[in-house]
Amino acid sequence: MSVLRRFLRTPEAIAGAIILAALFAMALSASLFFPGDPQAIAGPALLPPFQDWGLPLGTDRLGRDVLAELFHGSRTSLAVGLAAAAAALVIGAIVGTLAGFAGGLVDEVLMRITDAFQTVPSFLLALAFVSVVGPSLGVVVVAIALGAWTGPARVARAEVLSIRERDYVAGARVIGMHPLEIAFREVLPNALPPVLALSSVIVAAAILTEAALSFLGLGDPNRVTWGGMIAEGRTVLRTAPFLSVIPGVALVLTVLGVYLAGEGVVETTAVRRSLS
Amino acid sequence: MSSPLLAVSGLAKGYHRGGKAIAAVDNVSFAIGPGETLALAGPSGSGKSTIARLVLRLVEPDAGRIAFEGDDFLALNGAALRARRARLQMVFQDPLAAFNPRATVARVLNDPLRIHGIASRAERPRRIVALLERVGLSPNLASRAIHEISGGQRQRVAIARAIATKPSLIVLDEAVSALDVSVRGDILKLLLDLQTKERIAYLFISHDLGVVRAIAHRVVILDAGRITESGDARAVINAPQSAIGRELVAATPKLHRTTAP
Ligand SMILES: Nc1ncnc2c1ncn2[C@@H]1O[C@H](COP(=O)(O)OP(=O)(O)O)[C@@H](O)[C@H]1O
Ligand SMILES: [Mg+2]
Repeated sequence: MSVLRRFLRTPEAIAGAIILAALFAMALSASLFFPGDPQAIAGPALLPPFQDWGLPLGTDRLGRDVLAELFHGSRTSLAVGLAAAAAALVIGAIVGTLAGFAGGLVDEVLMRITDAFQTVPSFLLALAFVSVVGPSLGVVVVAIALGAWTGPARVARAEVLSIRERDYVAGARVIGMHPLEIAFREVLPNALPPVLALSSVIVAAAILTEAALSFLGLGDPNRVTWGGMIAEGRTVLRTAPFLSVIPGVALVLTVLGVYLAGEGVVETTAVRRSLS
Repeated sequence: MSSPLLAVSGLAKGYHRGGKAIAAVDNVSFAIGPGETLALAGPSGSGKSTIARLVLRLVEPDAGRIAFEGDDFLALNGAALRARRARLQMVFQDPLAAFNPRATVARVLNDPLRIHGIASRAERPRRIVALLERVGLSPNLASRAIHEISGGQRQRVAIARAIATKPSLIVLDEAVSALDVSVRGDILKLLLDLQTKERIAYLFISHDLGVVRAIAHRVVILDAGRITESGDARAVINAPQSAIGRELVAATPKLHRTTAP
């Protein structure tokens, strides 16, 4: 409980926590409040917001309920953002640990691969991957993770390089532990904190990338996405700007919330580590 | 001492530092018999820890041979080396640094039992209790985190981990140097007791000749990676022949008569 209290001491962390809580509430309650298909026609086309209490945020070009789309879109954003970031962190931590712990040729090869991935702009990589494989939720997750794992890999490797010289690693070798067990059970968990500190930035970037892919029409066509909503609204930007502005604001708030909450977590753990 | 437990000959290891080559260990040879304690003494930087790491195959030598229990220890690799490690254990100087900071006492002792298949999963908790009791610790400590126990207790856990696999030789690198004087005596007593009862040999590394005299049968004195003199521990300490030996004796003011083994 005291950890939570320390976390909630900074106003940024509180703001981040509130935004994230709202976002999760939206995602979880989407099918409760809007049980039907969010892509079904719900009323007259291009109804402005705050006109009809049945459709509080109005309707889009095809007469779909914007609020319902917003709720269902939050699911996609969160799911893709979290899944892609988790995949990137797991891949990065594994690659970085193997490279740093094995050293020599393994390190050389893995870090060249990491360099190669880092040289290609991650958005282009995602774009190319989805274009080739075809848009679906899983493919989008993989596409985003492909461009995001290099940062965690580098941080994990640097941390592992310093940890592997510690006595306790020598001690694990002395008792005959297998190198893979030493790497993943003894070293990796202690190398994780600085890697996890990257997660908020990676989640935020993943949510933005997903939105950008959907904006370009490369999101999962069977799902409502905020990026897709912005793209839809663009065609009627002059007459109904709210169609792009509403999902745009939701996107900005989400990314901000993730970032602020992440900073709060980093701050809290940093304080805890300096206390112990 | 017809067949030594450990025979090291012509051991050498060099490092590069700032473009300059330094010989950390230079043509070092010694042997340890079963149940014997050989001390490696020498000033800081004389290569003691490097020898320990070479003997344990934590670093590879540039030259030399290591025979352990009659086999060429340097020829072992992979699974064969890991299996043989059960017989050759180590205790480190800093008992906090020697353990995973996340570990509990039980996990530390469970690992060697599990890795070498010494006890079944069901049997291990009992073995852990027995090991704790063997080194004079309460079994209640098993569930504690390593960072929650005292330095002396930690070093006892390190010794318990080292004897878990029934080794014939334990390398102790400054194993009592970081401990309070009162605790140090108890740990030395424990080591002597283990040696008499289980016939474990020690390669005991220390810069403190007082401790060396209390525990070692023979001593090798090192300087800048080379052996400068060696012989019976009491004889060498009472009448050191080399300059570095005399310096080490002079640097140990309280060479009062401790009970020799
Ligand atoms: N990994 C290493 N890299 C470079 N030099 C080293 C390394 N390990 C030891 N040395 C050098 O080898 C010499 C012997 O060191 P060490 O064996 O630790 O001595 P001791 O344990 O007797 O104090 C020292 O000069 C030390 O600086
Ligand atoms: Mg040393």
